[in-house]
Amino acid sequence: MLSETETKLLGVMMMVIMLGMGASLTFKDFAIALRKPLGLVIGILCQYGIMPLLAYLLATALALPPAYAIGLILMGCMPGGTTSNIFTYFSKGTLSLSILMTMSSTLVAIAMVPLTLAFYSQGIEGQWQIPRGNVIQVLFVLLVPTVFGIALRKWNANVGAVIELIGGLLGVLVILFLIVSWVPRNWALLLATGFPVYAASIGLGLAGFVLGYGLSRLLKQDSRRARTIALETGIQNGPLAVLIVLLTFTGTQQQEVLLIPVLYSLFIVLSSSAVTVWFRRITTREELSRDAAKIGALARA
Amino acid sequence: MDAVTPYDLRPWIGVYGSHIKAELPKPPQASVAAMAHAAATRFASHTAFTTVMPNGMYGSLSYRQVDEHSDHFARYLRKVLGLAAGDRVAIQMPNCLSYPVVLLGVLKAGCVAVNTNPMYTASEMAHQFKDSGAKVVVVVDMFADKLEEALPHTDVEHVVITQVPEFFPPVVGGIVHAVMKYWNQQIPRHGVAATMLREALAQGAAAGGDARAWWGELDHESLALLQYTGGTTGVAKGAMLTHGNLLWNLSQMRAMCASHIEDGKEVVLTALPLYHIFAFTVNFLCMFGAGARNILVPSPRPIQNLQRAIENYRITWLTGVNTLYNALLCEEWFTAFPPKHIKAAGGGGAAMHHAVVERFEHVTGAPLVEGYGLTESSPVVCFQPLNGQRQKDTIGIPVPMTEVRLVNDIGEPVALGQPGELIVRGPQVMRGYWQRPEATAEVIKDGWLYTGDVAVMDEQGTFKIVDRKKDLILVSGFNVYPNEIEDALTRHDGVLEAAVIGVPDDKTGEGVRAYVVRRDETLTAEALMAHCRKLLTGYKIPARIEFRDELPKTAVGKILRRALRTEVLATTNPNKG
Repeated sequence: MLSETETKLLGVMMMVIMLGMGASLTFKDFAIALRKPLGLVIGILCQYGIMPLLAYLLATALALPPAYAIGLILMGCMPGGTTSNIFTYFSKGTLSLSILMTMSSTLVAIAMVPLTLAFYSQGIEGQWQIPRGNVIQVLFVLLVPTVFGIALRKWNANVGAVIELIGGLLGVLVILFLIVSWVPRNWALLLATGFPVYAASIGLGLAGFVLGYGLSRLLKQDSRRARTIALETGIQNGPLAVLIVLLTFTGTQQQEVLLIPVLYSLFIVLSSSAVTVWFRRITTREELSRDAAKIGALARA
Repeated sequence: MDAVTPYDLRPWIGVYGSHIKAELPKPPQASVAAMAHAAATRFASHTAFTTVMPNGMYGSLSYRQVDEHSDHFARYLRKVLGLAAGDRVAIQMPNCLSYPVVLLGVLKAGCVAVNTNPMYTASEMAHQFKDSGAKVVVVVDMFADKLEEALPHTDVEHVVITQVPEFFPPVVGGIVHAVMKYWNQQIPRHGVAATMLREALAQGAAAGGDARAWWGELDHESLALLQYTGGTTGVAKGAMLTHGNLLWNLSQMRAMCASHIEDGKEVVLTALPLYHIFAFTVNFLCMFGAGARNILVPSPRPIQNLQRAIENYRITWLTGVNTLYNALLCEEWFTAFPPKHIKAAGGGGAAMHHAVVERFEHVTGAPLVEGYGLTESSPVVCFQPLNGQRQKDTIGIPVPMTEVRLVNDIGEPVALGQPGELIVRGPQVMRGYWQRPEATAEVIKDGWLYTGDVAVMDEQGTFKIVDRKKDLILVSGFNVYPNEIEDALTRHDGVLEAAVIGVPDDKTGEGVRAYVVRRDETLTAEALMAHCRKLLTGYKIPARIEFRDELPKTAVGKILRRALRTEVLATTNPNKG
């Protein structure tokens, strides 16, 4: 369980992360994206169509107890995580698409998260339900710094860019912070935790990658964009889920619900890193073969 | 004496109308330094330069700051390093805030600036520094390792190192530097003993002295710039441009654009490199004199790097080459939200494509006028007028105070409508090539500069380039000289002989194509490309290498490049739109 101070600290850090995310985009970027909304539609579809359903199916298939099931479903209903942008950058993906998807899923989160969460958690006992008010409250509080970030970017590009960078770094730090503060204190719990919980925590991200890729290929996105969408789909905003849990539950109940969001956050960093290395190789190989094809075509011409 | 030729009648004066003054007074200031100081005094608090990074991070200098910093740099050169008037200082950096500070500092010190392409290889650098006799090199940290290789072959005594985010606010500059160094790994390690620009400026400030005393001695005849350009002989030569040449060209350009440049109001986007004469004179000097704000983009590649610069500033002027405009027009962020305040755009370097001009004008609603010039003429010779009878797909009309003729092979003016070599006489024509009187005599005869370009003129005095006499290849506005490439190719042991020509290319205007006769049959095009990459800058490397059993030659054994070119043009039927 996290202390009061740690919870507050997490809240403040989340605000800075959201401020940074807001500062990474301009209104014009949105206007341009809206001209060809397919990218946005795919993003929303992956984030609020695939992921919550996937979480629900995993919870059912693995017959998770309600405490874990609600944690997993909450995790699935979250908007895209800001760390996806960093992984996209390293994997030579389409950075602008990644930022845009994260941002748009965050902006519509205030409507979509309560909706999907309520829908998929219908069958869960009342004491494990997350009140809609809590979710909306947290999301609203985070929406303010996001919009403020966009405004900051417009006001001064230097301030905007610096905040964007700080927000990005903090995104990684928060996950480390969670791991460092939570894992040692819950060592026994981790050892006692069974296979289904691990499978759910790791599987949500991995299956998200696969389905995100599949859906975008189905919708005729090129392979580079599809890899970007895959990362974006699999990577959820873990710290946000943690924050919602902290504000909703207390005591041992909190500890139990927290398990999957924390484990997910931990493993998503590892699996994203591995996927990033792999994607980077594919992109590099594609670039090389494209160059080679050009030279070949020239030689034949 | 010959009868009056169609060119002596200067029919283009009719096109000037009331918008363009045909007669210009002699530029009032004695030197570029004096001009810059006057502009800096008049527009002191205005922002002079803003460098914009791809993510929108920026740093700016006001006119007053540029004036002060450049004074300090002048003192550093004269008092700290002990340079004398006329000593050469090489400047090698992409567009950044240091460029105007260093360039004006050099001119204020009464020294001569040697603009150097930062992408040069070590051997190209060595040649240029040795030939110009540069004593000081101001280089950006990104290329200090190549400088280290070149230094032993030069007479350079001092090196000053600067960085792209120089003069940025500390936190922002630190981040940009850290990202370039650790993330993009663009800043190599090097062992060059150098002074950092910041330190040089501090030493200059402490040294005292009045820079005015140094630039006060300059006049229109004083040498300002050695602007290197390749030659048909394959060796890069320094065109000697005087303060008078530059000031005249500035005022000629200003006269051409008088209706579209308002003092202290313009914001010009400079995506072309300032070390290139076009951006140097038009974007830097002309716009500095007009109190404009210059938005400097360190690298326009990828073209996305321009997005934040265009979004965040009220751009009123834009200059570029066909390649750049073409790339911009392929970007949705540009076509969906074109700069709203743009008044005009200028293009040159290589022929603009008709479709690109049409599309640009449709998207922005502003005219994209094309000009013509060369390093040897500071550079502008002709430009399409912004008002009046502008004719697209031409190079426009001669700028004021410039005589242009079309002549045949023996130097006689050709009849109206007939193609002839374009020759120019005017106050912007260089004094000659640095320490190469023979080369100078080949291109300047009786005060006329022979451009080697073949053009035609219509009744209104509008010119159109039809072909090039020289074999030089224009890749995205950069001169590529076949000899130099052939020389590099034949340095490979497996190459018997080589011929290089330019072939039409949709993207770069012209592309470099090499025909090679092998000595070693196992030599592959890839291996030869790799060999070229070691010796040549990117744009000079052949886009395609073709192996042949023999090359067409004249009776005396001189390789006939023209025959190869004719062959290519006949088979590919290039589309010249």
